[in-house]
Amino acid sequence: MPALSGFLWLISYWLIGEVVIHVTALPISSGVIGMLLLCVTLAIRGRVPGSIAAAAQPLIALLAMLIMPGVVGVFFIIGELAGQWSAILIALVLGTLLSVFTTLWLLKRLIGQSHVQ
Amino acid sequence: MSNDSSLLALLTTTPLFAVGLTLTAYLVGNGLFQRLKRPSWLPAILIAALLLAGALALIGLPYATYQQGATWLTVLLGPATVALGMPLYQQLPRIVELWRPLAICLPIAAALAAFYSLAIAWLLGSSNTILASIAAKSVTAPIAIGITEQLGGTVALLLGALLITGVITIPCVSLAARFLHIDDERLIGFALGLNGHAIGTVRAFELSPTAGAFASLGMSLTGIFTAVLLPLAWRLLGMGG
Repeated sequence: MPALSGFLWLISYWLIGEVVIHVTALPISSGVIGMLLLCVTLAIRGRVPGSIAAAAQPLIALLAMLIMPGVVGVFFIIGELAGQWSAILIALVLGTLLSVFTTLWLLKRLIGQSHVQ
Repeated sequence: MSNDSSLLALLTTTPLFAVGLTLTAYLVGNGLFQRLKRPSWLPAILIAALLLAGALALIGLPYATYQQGATWLTVLLGPATVALGMPLYQQLPRIVELWRPLAICLPIAAALAAFYSLAIAWLLGSSNTILASIAAKSVTAPIAIGITEQLGGTVALLLGALLITGVITIPCVSLAARFLHIDDERLIGFALGLNGHAIGTVRAFELSPTAGAFASLGMSLTGIFTAVLLPLAWRLLGMGG
């Protein structure tokens, strides 16, 4: 049962993240703390155990499905924000376009050459 | 009619109905996405979300009831986020190679990701509540919900802003990459994760594992940076109630 013990590892790291947040009052999610802890652990061990890979790969592949139930909620608040939507949409679309351009332009400038692999 | 609604009531006593509905929408959405030759302007998650919303409206299932059942799936978001530590570790050498430009870029880009949209919404006369709800638009959902509650925004509107931002990030990145002549998948992945949180990261994993790892990195760093600094900046600007 390698996938199951890998899954237990992931859950344990998430729970450790909860404890860390409770103790330190950091405004971060336990998932992110667990992700960083997992990365550090793997770096110390120097390899990815088969059990972790067996649990992590399918979960990562399903990430899009896991955020769907929350995302669908937006279609049910459309009525509540009548008249505000155009401003919100313009702000989000234009703002995202500008910030994507800034990010990529900045990275290209900082790294110098974009074709090095 | 009363027969129909009692059948629906019977089915929704178990979370398996909401889980089944979500899986169906996801699989059909993915199938359609492949059939349409994977358009970058219409990601699979948007097709699936539209199908799911349509199905809920059609059978008259209240969103709150659906959401309660779907908790059985969304609880996996925790371990799935932890799982992102694996590609992060596997790409560590390539990330370390670029640590300096990434470390300089991140605070500027993550701050601007929030700032641009807030400034535009403010100029268009949006209320403080709306500004507080969209401020965390580029942050991954579990962190963004915490930030939004702290700022006094509406979580439902935040999730809508996350969907729109995530979906629009994908064509924006393709456009900007073409315009700036960038084909390095590390940069493209980082930009996808930084601006488009989980939705951008999912897209990056479709491109390549390297792009995916850089997207996970961009997503988590943006989340941490924004979670620490946005509530502080909000208080300094006197926006809080």
